[in-house]
Amino acid sequence: MKLERSDRGPLWAFLGPAIILMLVFFVIPVIYVAVVSLMKWNGISAPEFRAVRNYLLLFKDKAFQRSVINNVIWALVAGFIQVPLAMVMAIILSRKPKGWKFFRTVYFFPQVISGIALATLWRAVYNAETGLLNGLLKAFGQGALAKDWLGTLQTAFPAVLIYWVFYIGYYMVIMMADITTIDESYYEAATIDGATDFQQAIHITIPLIRRTSLLTCVTLASVMGLRQFEQVYMLTNGGPANSTSTIVLYMYKKLQDTNYGMASASAVILILVGIVFIVCIRKLFEGRGEGAAPRKRRAVK
Amino acid sequence: MKRLLALLLALVMVFGLAACGNSAAPAEKPAEAPAEAPAEAPAEAPAEAPAEAPAEAPAEEIVINFPSIWVGTDSKAAYMAQLVENFNAENAGAIKVVVEEQTDYQAYRDKIRTTITTGSAPDLCILDTTFDIKAYSESGKFMDLTPYLNEGWGDTFADGAFDAWSVDGHTYILPFESAIFPLIYNTKIFNEIGWDHFPATYDEFFQFCKDAKDKGYNAMGQMAGDNAWSSMLWYSLIVEAIGGKDVYANGLQDPAFVEAAKVLKEMYSYTFDGAISATAGDVNGHWLARDTAIYLNGPWWIGNLYKEDNAVDGVLLADDCDVAVNPKYEGGKGDGGLVTTVQGFLAAAKQDDPAKEAAVVKFLQYLTDPDHVSELALSSGAMFFVKYTPSPDTSVIAQKFTEIANNANYTVLHVNGAFPTAFSTEFPAAVSALVLGEVDEQGFVDMLQTAIDNAA
Repeated sequence: MKLERSDRGPLWAFLGPAIILMLVFFVIPVIYVAVVSLMKWNGISAPEFRAVRNYLLLFKDKAFQRSVINNVIWALVAGFIQVPLAMVMAIILSRKPKGWKFFRTVYFFPQVISGIALATLWRAVYNAETGLLNGLLKAFGQGALAKDWLGTLQTAFPAVLIYWVFYIGYYMVIMMADITTIDESYYEAATIDGATDFQQAIHITIPLIRRTSLLTCVTLASVMGLRQFEQVYMLTNGGPANSTSTIVLYMYKKLQDTNYGMASASAVILILVGIVFIVCIRKLFEGRGEGAAPRKRRAVK
Repeated sequence: MKRLLALLLALVMVFGLAACGNSAAPAEKPAEAPAEAPAEAPAEAPAEAPAEAPAEAPAEEIVINFPSIWVGTDSKAAYMAQLVENFNAENAGAIKVVVEEQTDYQAYRDKIRTTITTGSAPDLCILDTTFDIKAYSESGKFMDLTPYLNEGWGDTFADGAFDAWSVDGHTYILPFESAIFPLIYNTKIFNEIGWDHFPATYDEFFQFCKDAKDKGYNAMGQMAGDNAWSSMLWYSLIVEAIGGKDVYANGLQDPAFVEAAKVLKEMYSYTFDGAISATAGDVNGHWLARDTAIYLNGPWWIGNLYKEDNAVDGVLLADDCDVAVNPKYEGGKGDGGLVTTVQGFLAAAKQDDPAKEAAVVKFLQYLTDPDHVSELALSSGAMFFVKYTPSPDTSVIAQKFTEIANNANYTVLHVNGAFPTAFSTEFPAAVSALVLGEVDEQGFVDMLQTAIDNAA
């Protein structure tokens, strides 16, 4: 579509502020970070160009390798376990069973609590000596299973990840909002044809939210998984032996060392991993030549 | 019509944004004002003047921003607050010290590091050995205190206090709070276990550990969570016992570091469960619960031994405590040495305005006045580089600390203080890897060395 000359003024007037903000708060800082990633800089003295040495050091650093792997696992779990869980709950609650408002509130409630507070709470739950988890195991005669959950290599990362997976409220309400816009007539027709609730969910609900709220939630969850920091920082600070480290935590530790070059290099890697993830998710949701998603109509009252 | 409406909306948005921009201006002004205003007049009114001037020119009050960690539950908090209040009262209308409270140590370090890097060092701040003091001194961002110290102020500090931290004979960052790390032990637990003396050697120490474990006590508290502070201190003591006073001469190449790693790993068999993920809170909690025999921390912790809150059945913890020196290591080079550190440096931002510089120096001199430091030491138990006469009310434990400091043959820094910051950042991961068997003793040292090399 070709723009009329007279349309260009309002177009730029609308887009201009957003473009300026994007340039100032995103593009320029990213370019700055990319430049610093090629430097040796302690934040005080003059920076010294060291080409790609920071990147070479990063790729050789086992803590960084572990951080990238953990972040990829985190993003995958977020996108493909946490969001599907949220979707299931959204589909169930959208059918408005008895007490659905109560459950919607209960599932959403953790979203209003800060991540730091939740991490502190779970730290207490996992405490090796006084923690609730070990206490329950002992109470049920399974004391042999009690352990230092955050201090054992095999359990630390799953422990950090597992509780977080069940905080599905945010994605659930997004998908619920989307599901409620699906035309009721689809479900009525399916019911007449003898489709069960499960079949309706599989053949009507999921296809209709797939490229809208489901795609949005998978993208959001994966990106949040990639930028995990506070939970890990509060629960384990990346330990034991860097087994729970994430890229942002790694970056933070490099900043503590006033190693701004390597911190910036890890930030660049994080951005690249994020881009790869988003592209892959979009490809995955584009499907195999199915064209545009079916149009939805608002229910007519 | 639609186009007109669109244009109108766009204009409203643009003006809205512009309005947002303007709104920031008033917020900036006050911050600039103190720096600008004195630039014209104050040059004639240096250090002494402020005390007289206030009534005539209240608008020219110099504000000193002081982000401080000595607040909240810190043992120095109460007296520091009183000092600042008294100083502000004495200089009312001329100088005002505004304390920005920060109770979390790591958050404080992050804040200070960020503000300094972004070119806006606070008027006054507290640094520790996790900061690269040499680089900060050379950065040109801090006030050169040398001329003031040479005018007699420097004589109030311990001899040689500035030597290790000065650059080309200039002192920019002032070592203020010192720390030594003797061992505090619970005599009641020792008696219950059947020990009437503190182990003199590490062989004896591990015999004690076994006896303590048999009786259901933790010999000591270890932690690999957070910054692994307790384990870092224990490692420093072992390193000193094995390597002696020159242990840092060859960096981590000295075999003492590998040998000490072996000892540290063994100690984890005699601490409480969950030490790998434990934090300082866990270590302190066990010590206060009287289930741990030996406690290792700086003198600032002495005050807690005398707190009624920590008493059991009316008996203060201090009443069941004694102080000991680092045991000797069989075949080690350590000989009556003491692990120390600079717990707190005072650093003042370089000022363009001479009046503000004078005001900051005036407050620094007030803060480091021997009488004030004596009171600060008494109230907190902390130790300082300022020469002061200890109060006769100084606690028994604090007196023993001082005695140990005076009798030490030599001092060495703790490992965090002796190596670049990358060492302390990597230390918790290295300790947990060592204790969990991910790496051997050499691997532990290699992890630390790699971290240092990567930051170099």
